Amino acid sequence: MSVKPQNKKSNDVTEQGKPFVDAEDRNGFDPAASLGEPGSFPFTRGPHRTMYRDRLWTMRQFAGFGSADDTNKRFKYLLDHGTTGLSTAFDLPTLMGRDSDDPLALGEVGRCGVAISSLADMRRLFDGIQLDKVSTSMTINAPAAILLAFYVCVGEEQDVSSEKLRGTLQNDILKEFHAQNEYVFPPVPSVGLVVDTIEYCTKHMPLWNTVSISGYHIREAGASAAQELAFTLADGMAYTEASMDRGLDVDDFAPRLSFFFDVHNDFFEEIAKLRAARRIWSRVAKDKFHAKNERSWLLRMHCQTAGVTLTEQQPTNNLIRVAYQALAGVLGGTQSLHTNSMDETLALPSERAAKLALRTQQILAHETEVTQTVDPLGGSYFVEKMTDEIEAKAEVIFAEIDSMGGVIKAIDRGYFRRSIAESAQASQKRIDSGEDKIVGVTDFVEEGTSEVDILQISQNTEDEQIASLKELKSSRDKSRHKQALEKLRDGARDGANLMPAIIEAAKADATVGEMMDTMKSVFGAYDGGPEW
Amino acid sequence: MVVTTQNPEEATGVSITTKQPPRILLAKIGLDGHDRGVKVLARSFRDAGIEVIYTGLWQTCESTVHAALQEDVDVIGVSLLSAAHMTVMPELLRYRNELGIDHIPVVLGGIVPDADHPKLKEMGIASVFNPGSSVDVIVKKICELAATRKTADYDSVQDEYNKGNALALSQLLTGVQRGELPDNWKAPTGKAKIVGVTGAPGVGKSSFIGKLAQILCDQGKQVAVIAIDPSSPITGGALLGDRLRMMSTKADSRFFVRSFSSGGGPGGLAPFAREAIDIVNGFGFDYILVETVGAGQADVGIRELTDLTLLLLMPDSGDAVQFSKAGIMEIAGSFVLNKCDLHGADATEAQLLSAVGTDRPIWKVSTIRDEGLEDVAKWLATQ
Ligand SMILES: Nc1nc2c(ncn2[C@@H]2O[C@H](COP(=O)(O)OP(=O)(O)OP(=O)(O)O)[C@@H](O)[C@H]2O)c(=O)[nH]1
Ligand SMILES: [Mg+2]
Repeated sequence: MSVKPQNKKSNDVTEQGKPFVDAEDRNGFDPAASLGEPGSFPFTRGPHRTMYRDRLWTMRQFAGFGSADDTNKRFKYLLDHGTTGLSTAFDLPTLMGRDSDDPLALGEVGRCGVAISSLADMRRLFDGIQLDKVSTSMTINAPAAILLAFYVCVGEEQDVSSEKLRGTLQNDILKEFHAQNEYVFPPVPSVGLVVDTIEYCTKHMPLWNTVSISGYHIREAGASAAQELAFTLADGMAYTEASMDRGLDVDDFAPRLSFFFDVHNDFFEEIAKLRAARRIWSRVAKDKFHAKNERSWLLRMHCQTAGVTLTEQQPTNNLIRVAYQALAGVLGGTQSLHTNSMDETLALPSERAAKLALRTQQILAHETEVTQTVDPLGGSYFVEKMTDEIEAKAEVIFAEIDSMGGVIKAIDRGYFRRSIAESAQASQKRIDSGEDKIVGVTDFVEEGTSEVDILQISQNTEDEQIASLKELKSSRDKSRHKQALEKLRDGARDGANLMPAIIEAAKADATVGEMMDTMKSVFGAYDGGPEW
Repeated sequence: MVVTTQNPEEATGVSITTKQPPRILLAKIGLDGHDRGVKVLARSFRDAGIEVIYTGLWQTCESTVHAALQEDVDVIGVSLLSAAHMTVMPELLRYRNELGIDHIPVVLGGIVPDADHPKLKEMGIASVFNPGSSVDVIVKKICELAATRKTADYDSVQDEYNKGNALALSQLLTGVQRGELPDNWKAPTGKAKIVGVTGAPGVGKSSFIGKLAQILCDQGKQVAVIAIDPSSPITGGALLGDRLRMMSTKADSRFFVRSFSSGGGPGGLAPFAREAIDIVNGFGFDYILVETVGAGQADVGIRELTDLTLLLLMPDSGDAVQFSKAGIMEIAGSFVLNKCDLHGADATEAQLLSAVGTDRPIWKVSTIRDEGLEDVAKWLATQ
């Protein structure tokens, strides 16, 4: 059934043996049911009626810098230049819920993002920045509830109540089990913690985007486009079900869920994937979860170009790859976009490379005129056929997951990891056999070294962080600290919503690592599941 | 044995002509969880006829090097995508040299800027691969490095073994696997309690052994594990994945783990399993835990080799019913119902009771939650 011209040996695109798709292949295609208008059910053509004509996508470039102070300076620079959205990248120890002085943090403190081990660090990160004036996105998962608590506390100290806080938490632990491996607890309590944040935000932080359900990392780990689509939406359904089981009304929280997709090389397939995502989600929200509010049906997405397609060889070629991928993201109707820097395979982005990545989006937005018509590919025989087909593939995968008893059961069986690893190896084999070509790597190879400058990071952050943690641990109120952690442990045992206890512990200067260890003592630690 | 891959379309095109499959330890050090590359490589290595021991995520330099010593691998492969290579690699080499295994070459894969390549070479890293490196090239390099391995001088290795040197133990195990040991050599008689651990794939044998061993070590016992995994029948390569469930970030000299591939041996056992157990036993361990592949009807060979066999089951697996018809139920000295944190544990226990009666103990444990293992350890001590 594949129309994908993956089979490069033949020119045929359809089963009938034609090199093109035409009306004959689209028998029974019903535009009203499959497409609707932009901004109306099932939203295939876009979540809004006017799309980029009224409002461009958000150009969100995510970057990380050593210490809280360094990042704070960077934030202020960005705010002075008109940015209102701050995007925070955390370092690996923080992402893993470990303090900067943890033995496993060796060499990684402040390296790929900012190191935050305590409320004190968070306070320094937002020093002099009014939290009711900005929107903050935080890319964090396993310890997301803790970082959210820190943010709430900093707001409180500034007299900004949590109702006014705006931002996004990635908070998508399921894809960590499938792909990115930044999990700590087993799946069930991990999802419980996500639901804690959803519940808390629904009651106290109505402007906050609670979960950014991410296919990006799944795809980067090797999944196919259809797998990325299906696994991500299945995760979205799992969070929705878990939240409804908690007693929440779907229309109270679903509008604050958003999605995050990869934009890979296969241009039309990627566009089809993004269009299919909106259609599937709107139907699921309406028919499966019986959401009444139209905003619950809307799938809002962020996209990022595919880091995994970038090559170390002839790195400037990456600019061109990123540009095509960015175009696919925009033709697919994304609400926000991150374009990768060309030097990423070598090191953290240099300033010049980061600027070129942003310029790529600006040229797309302001020069190409692709923004002037909503969903310009709507109705294309080929794109519509592909959209239908990738949807059908996703349905097959949903059925597979259902037959295993749902997402968590499928994780227990190693289904996601196995599927992703198999796809990754298959694609490696296509490259090794010469079937898939990579310009500058398998073909059109040039001798010689790379032509880009590389950003160097200072090693001092690690020592400074460790020293300030030591200071914090010796100066805090020990009995308050102890009590707060005990309360957190008891809450975990009793199955309570942990947000209030985490906020208390944050105020008692408990560190990220200490809170995670406390929860680990109840929840256990996850070892990666059966498939590796 | 000459290993050539059967299907050239699928294989990497490299054929291996060493007598034994090369053995490589693949490790990810630090907190970076990007394991796409290391997993693709692990599988490609297996398909190219290499034995791969993967340590899993979140290893330290210390734990990696200890694993390499115990597994007596030909090559250590480290995957690092966190850009911490200039901090981590010197540390790793320092540990390696301290342990006296500087003959094992170390290769590095990851995002490594060109400028760092010469520095890494100079400090003693044998090869550095980047994300764009082709699998063929990597496989070839690994095989070349493995081919430089020298056959041990088994006379002096035996002396060292008698003195209690763990590296010598490890080398003798390689000797027995490769059929290189002198015929007249026999391991001294040991005193270990030899416990078989068997059960269907994925019931948690390795995780259980890892936790049980920890408890025994904490009581001051010396514990060895022999873990036997199936090897790929086509290429002779194997992915040996038991060890990764038993890794801890700190190395402990009282705890020794060695992974073998079954080599298609009968009863899920490697053909040299008995000799290997004797060698480990003669070294002076208190317990030897032997993990074997699966537990089908034919896989009862483990009974011959052990003093006692534990059969692992899990809730809702249907095993209880299935096994009650097979010989495997008979060989078990005791039953361990693992994963009792999952739904259905009580029902499965009841099923099991009605199938096997009450003569042999049934332990309910949850490895993941550290529950119930102390009781098993206590009982083992009385056997
Ligand atoms: N829920 C739960 N999962 C467990 C428990 N013990 C092990 N597991 C999981 O079961 C899976 C398989 O564990 P292993 O220890 O590799 O099982 P095994 O029997 O050695 O597997 P093979 O060697 O492949 O046959 C892993 O994902 C473990 O996390 C437990 O007590 N509870
Ligand atoms: Mg095992």
